[in-house]
Amino acid sequence: MQKQKQKCRMRQFFMLLILSMASHWGIAQQAAMVNGIVQDATGEPIAGATVRVVNEAANIDRQTSTDKQGLFQFEQLPEGGPYAFVVSSLGYETQRLEGYRVVRGERISLAIKLQEGTTELDQIVVVGYGNTKRENLVGAVQSVNEDDFNTGVFSSPGQLLQGKVAGLNITKSGDPNNRGAIILRGPSTLRDGAQEPFYVIDGVPGASIDLVAPDDIVSIDVLKDASSTAIYGARAANGVIMITTRKAAMGQTRLSYSAYTAAEQVSNAIEMLSGPQLRQYLEANGRSLAASDDDGSDTDWQKEVSRTGVSHNHNLSFMGTAAKTAYGASINYLSNEGIIRGTSLERFNLRTNIQHRQFDDRLKLNFSLVNSITNTEDVHDLVYSNMLKYLPTVAVKKPDGTYSEDWSRTRNYLNPVSLIDNNSFDGKVKTLLASGQAEVDIFDGLKYTLNISAQDEQVSNNIYYNSLSGLYQNANGRAVRNTVNNTKRILETYLNYDRLFGAHEVKLLAGYSWQEDKFGDGFQTSNQGFVSDDLGYNNPGLGDPPAGVPVDYGNMRIQTQRIISFYGRANYTLHNKYLLQASIRRDGSSAFGTNNRWGYFPAVSAGWLLHNEGFMQDATAVDLLKLRAGYGVSGNSQGFDAFTATLLYGSAQRFYYDGSFINAIGPFQNANPDLKWERTGMLNIGVDFGLFNGLVSGSIDWYDKRTSDLIWTYPVSTTQYFVNQLTANAGEVKNTGVEVLLNAAPLRNSNFTWRTSLNFSHNTNELISLSNDNFELPLIYTAYLGGKGQSGNSSQIVQEGYPIGTFYTWRYAGKNEEGVTLIYDREGNPTTAPTSDDFAFAGNAQPKFIYGWNNTFRYKNFDFNFFLRGVSGNKIMNATLADLNSPGEATFSNIPVFTLDEAANDNNAYLLSDRYIESGSYLRLDNATLGYTFKLKNASTLRLYTSGNNLFVITDYRGIDPEINMGGLTPGIDNGNYYPKTRSFIFGLNVIF
Amino acid sequence: MKKSMKICAALLLMGAASCTDLDVPIESEYTPGNFPTTPESFVAATGPIYTQLRSRYAVDYWRLQEHSTDAAIIPARGGNYDDGGRFRTLHYHTWNPDHIIVKDVWEWGFGGINTCNRILNLFESAPESETKAMTVAEVRTMKALFYFFMMDLFGNIPIIRAFGETDAPATAPRVEVFAYIEEELKAALPDLSTTVGQLTYGRPTKFAAYALLQKLYLNAEYYTGTPRYVESVEMGDHILAEGRYSLDADYMSIFAPDNGAQIQETILAVPYDANVAEGNHFNRYGLHTAIQEKYELPFRPSIALSTIADYYALFNLEGDVRNDTWLAGKQYNWDGTPITISTTKKGLDETYEGADGTAPIEWHLEFTPEMPLRFPATMDIGNDVLGQARGVRSIKYYPDKNANPSTRYQNNDMPVFRLADVYLMKAEAILRGAAATAVNGELQTPALLVNKIRERAHAPLVESVSLGELLDERARELAWEGWRRNDLIRFGRFEDSWGYKTDSNPNMRLYPVPTSERTLNPNLDQNTGYQ
Repeated sequence: MQKQKQKCRMRQFFMLLILSMASHWGIAQQAAMVNGIVQDATGEPIAGATVRVVNEAANIDRQTSTDKQGLFQFEQLPEGGPYAFVVSSLGYETQRLEGYRVVRGERISLAIKLQEGTTELDQIVVVGYGNTKRENLVGAVQSVNEDDFNTGVFSSPGQLLQGKVAGLNITKSGDPNNRGAIILRGPSTLRDGAQEPFYVIDGVPGASIDLVAPDDIVSIDVLKDASSTAIYGARAANGVIMITTRKAAMGQTRLSYSAYTAAEQVSNAIEMLSGPQLRQYLEANGRSLAASDDDGSDTDWQKEVSRTGVSHNHNLSFMGTAAKTAYGASINYLSNEGIIRGTSLERFNLRTNIQHRQFDDRLKLNFSLVNSITNTEDVHDLVYSNMLKYLPTVAVKKPDGTYSEDWSRTRNYLNPVSLIDNNSFDGKVKTLLASGQAEVDIFDGLKYTLNISAQDEQVSNNIYYNSLSGLYQNANGRAVRNTVNNTKRILETYLNYDRLFGAHEVKLLAGYSWQEDKFGDGFQTSNQGFVSDDLGYNNPGLGDPPAGVPVDYGNMRIQTQRIISFYGRANYTLHNKYLLQASIRRDGSSAFGTNNRWGYFPAVSAGWLLHNEGFMQDATAVDLLKLRAGYGVSGNSQGFDAFTATLLYGSAQRFYYDGSFINAIGPFQNANPDLKWERTGMLNIGVDFGLFNGLVSGSIDWYDKRTSDLIWTYPVSTTQYFVNQLTANAGEVKNTGVEVLLNAAPLRNSNFTWRTSLNFSHNTNELISLSNDNFELPLIYTAYLGGKGQSGNSSQIVQEGYPIGTFYTWRYAGKNEEGVTLIYDREGNPTTAPTSDDFAFAGNAQPKFIYGWNNTFRYKNFDFNFFLRGVSGNKIMNATLADLNSPGEATFSNIPVFTLDEAANDNNAYLLSDRYIESGSYLRLDNATLGYTFKLKNASTLRLYTSGNNLFVITDYRGIDPEINMGGLTPGIDNGNYYPKTRSFIFGLNVIF
Repeated sequence: MKKSMKICAALLLMGAASCTDLDVPIESEYTPGNFPTTPESFVAATGPIYTQLRSRYAVDYWRLQEHSTDAAIIPARGGNYDDGGRFRTLHYHTWNPDHIIVKDVWEWGFGGINTCNRILNLFESAPESETKAMTVAEVRTMKALFYFFMMDLFGNIPIIRAFGETDAPATAPRVEVFAYIEEELKAALPDLSTTVGQLTYGRPTKFAAYALLQKLYLNAEYYTGTPRYVESVEMGDHILAEGRYSLDADYMSIFAPDNGAQIQETILAVPYDANVAEGNHFNRYGLHTAIQEKYELPFRPSIALSTIADYYALFNLEGDVRNDTWLAGKQYNWDGTPITISTTKKGLDETYEGADGTAPIEWHLEFTPEMPLRFPATMDIGNDVLGQARGVRSIKYYPDKNANPSTRYQNNDMPVFRLADVYLMKAEAILRGAAATAVNGELQTPALLVNKIRERAHAPLVESVSLGELLDERARELAWEGWRRNDLIRFGRFEDSWGYKTDSNPNMRLYPVPTSERTLNPNLDQNTGYQ
């Protein structure tokens, strides 16, 4: 019965469609009064362009769109005038033709050539499953084009955006192997590894970002509010970043080569004592070093482990067309030498793309194949603490050529150069993404798209601790090798229907997607006891481990996750003034409990284009004035073990049974059939404006983002559950904020232009609750930083009413008369023997403002750019300094110059307290670039440029750099594991033929 | 037109109908669907009881039972090992319901109890057999053992009879917990194995259950107010009459790295392995870096843990091999040369005031029983060379040269019950009023029983023995085996002063219910003195 009804409805729908088309064709055969053709600069017809005809006096406003041949017509326009024709199309500059008079019997024929769009209003913005013109956008989306990307030695596309997008907080150290942390609009989850935005690369959701070389990217669109992101449902709560790569366009041939070479250095170091300074300090205090700790040297360990990293990047790409086929290929090679010896990244990318049109261009096929091979070298984290702490009074190597080491000291005191030289941590990642797309124009406005992609990633890690390694002493070399295969298979299929019905513009989308990710399919092996170190980890079979040393097979778990979705979206525009959008997605994920596998993610938004209103026609200074508001719901299911909701048994170590130790198998995870995604509801209100013909433009957004059903691992009673923890949804967190983006072009004459862009954002984060009816948790202590005598002491607290990253530590009460550090106890009395009961609130790590200011100048063929960015109002726990500030340890490990001002007998100086919570505010000259462009023959260009990164930082922070990782549950902590920031100087060229 | 539209719609609809299946295969994990099924998997399923037992037995559980007594201490050294005062408060008897070790041990003990209950539940579906009956009896005995540990530490605790109870269990008085342990053990006894040696080393036999009952009854007067010394002797006699155990001639071998099923006197062991059965960290905490080479330790020990002078003073019998379990005084290499540390006068002693503080010296390593405080507030004895060498070290769990260099775990198994304890418990029960009994024709008086121990230790024999002397004998024989707190409480001596501790609050005989646990379960009552 129901089925029949559906069928009926379908039939009605078809009839309607056919009728509308029939009428269209019917009229087409009558003599038209106005007709015309719309073409691009090369003469290719533009289909689907909007042509509007306006006669204000007669209150006439009609529009139509061009057909496949670029043709359009208007019939029976009332006599009179003046008539104006406004022709617009996605990606092209809108053209306005004024002053036509309609006279009976006279035909007006128009031939319109549209130039490719350059103004912001014409910009194409990539949204989920389609594109739209910026003017018609109803959500908060910031686009960054290649011209505005950051310049630098970048291994990850995120770095192109650092400081450029309001509300996007990116923190990254100088480590080439560290992608950094990216958080949009404040932390909205408690789970580590679940804060990254969702990446969609050329329409492939969740593709690996390692696959894209920065040079191949033409634009990045950051979808910020839920009305924009909700179309990606359960994965979109952290925002969506859409990356568009360069593709061949019809009729275009383009050969380009770009390359740079860069020298990078450590931008800042902690001022530690030199050898003579340390000896002098100890002597002044009547102490001295053990003979084995002083060979008369003066070693600067920070210098010993660092180097000038030389990096270079080459990108060669070619694009061309032959008849109905466009093709393109690019190769990119990046060699990124880290500033810490022994760290590097080398990446090779290959990208090929073929587009073909068939059947009167009704069928468009698009194939692409992307391959990326990344080799990394890394060092052990202990390098970063030992480069500070290792005594400057010993040489790197003894006269006999062996490393100076003292293994009788505490475990973590190891020669940092030896740590680099005698341990290898090598990685290799090979990623292949193959995708095919078919687009069928079924009839005017209705388009069917089928996308199939498969990504295959092979990750290998190889570790070798050689026979001199302090990390694996007396093992005669230890090798660990593993390799893991991760695959993704994605099918997306959707229908778009875009039509104009007079003043009504309708865009509809309906789709289905199926995705299966399989992670962790691999194995590991280990061995030790090698007769020589020559083979490294390459042949584990040659080891002879002592009896009883088991092979480390790792914990390899195959995790398969399937995500199935249905989605739809409707856009409605009336008179090009009123915009409405509604979308819904129904997502199902195998990762969640059987009771909650499916969920709906709706969104609605509306926009009002005030500048198109009659009453604004006199306000000629206003190019654009748009109000928009939207609310939507999206989810976060990232960073998730595929089987979190399932009761699992695994190895519970080994137990003695009849003479041998055999595997004990026990449950390690409870089932939670109610487990579901974290739900983010976001309200966004914004205004976009453009004034004085492009002189000033910008947007302001206000949002209120509430994430409920936060996933956390709750302690549960084992009288009821198998395991004492249950991963469940309960808490709630709130982020509210304002983002402002201002663009201006104060100077625009033919010789000299100045463009400037300022963005800043403010976010307030607050944890609303950690509990619900089923689970109660008053607070979570976190950030266990260890440190001398402070094992088990936490430094942060997650508690209702406070932001994530709230410091909760001892309160510094100055020094007593002996100069010993005092801490306030719970009653507020100073004590030299505090306990963990004396912790108190001490500010938080969330920044109040994040800002960026970019300036581009062009004078004739010169271009100059400088970019400042900064953060203010955040706090950092400088645990690195606290740990170093231990006067009593000066005979065991080096102390910083800071410690010279401490009393030598201050045996509490190192205690983590609010004394070490410092302002993390900074202003950084992130980049300055000077370029010169040579115009070559045949419109070819050659640009040479030189650029400097991180040229200065203004900050009161006492650590290496205030750009401390803001990701995870414990942001803003500098704890002796910080890879220094780099300062780099680049010379590069781009040539385009 | 219409046709292609239909095809499209069909494609979409087809997808919708056939592709909403979210059931993915679980390929590398056991789930209730495929575990346990085979006899081997039922054996593997009982493993978590034993891995749970060993996980905290030799460290955290041991700390609650020994650090609160005169037997063991970790003082701070220049701030190191203060760790938020966790060891300090154990020594001073000033712990509170937020104490991290108290919390960890509560979770450990009840984790063990609930693991046993869960496995009993799992076994209900297994086909009936003799093996099943025995395994079920073993699990019930292990549950009784965990309950005994928890009752001994916390007194009044909830009784959880089966897995899956959804109501939060309420606190039961100690008397009821005592009765429940007794009831469980008696129910398990008939099906337990009497085979000793490799097959049951590490799992409870009938004799392990008897030893636990013997311990239970010995403490019954303190636990419940009703003395049950006669039954305690009776339980001990069940073990002694069978004659399956004998004292090993070499006392040190019982605790050596290569100890195992060949040890004749261990009734229930917690087997450790440096690599695959982790949990024994005595060498890591207790030894000094300067003796690392002598004992071929493959890692740097952390010099923290030692005994207290008062306790070390009990090791005063001439010829007693148990004296050799301690390292005290000046230390020498195997070849008799002194073990020295290169330092300076100031490096040796921070408080040195002489002008020649930087003068280098070779200091002969000497472990001193006395530990003068440098910073009394944090129980800190300083981190100069002298401070590091304060405190007598234990090598009872003999240094293991095959310890894991990175995790620092060692191979020495730890006995829970052994024959020497059975002898000493019997002697004590008789001294406390039970009649001496004969076993296989031998009338076992307290002196005779103590002399069995002393003879093996090559210590002077006794004519008679008093209760006080018996406590001291227990201190010598069972040092660092996790019984000192239990013994001191039973003898009314837990409120004495030792080390830096002067507290005499009898409420400290019980540890508090952890705050975190009471948040989780509002039906738990706090012990007296902690409210």
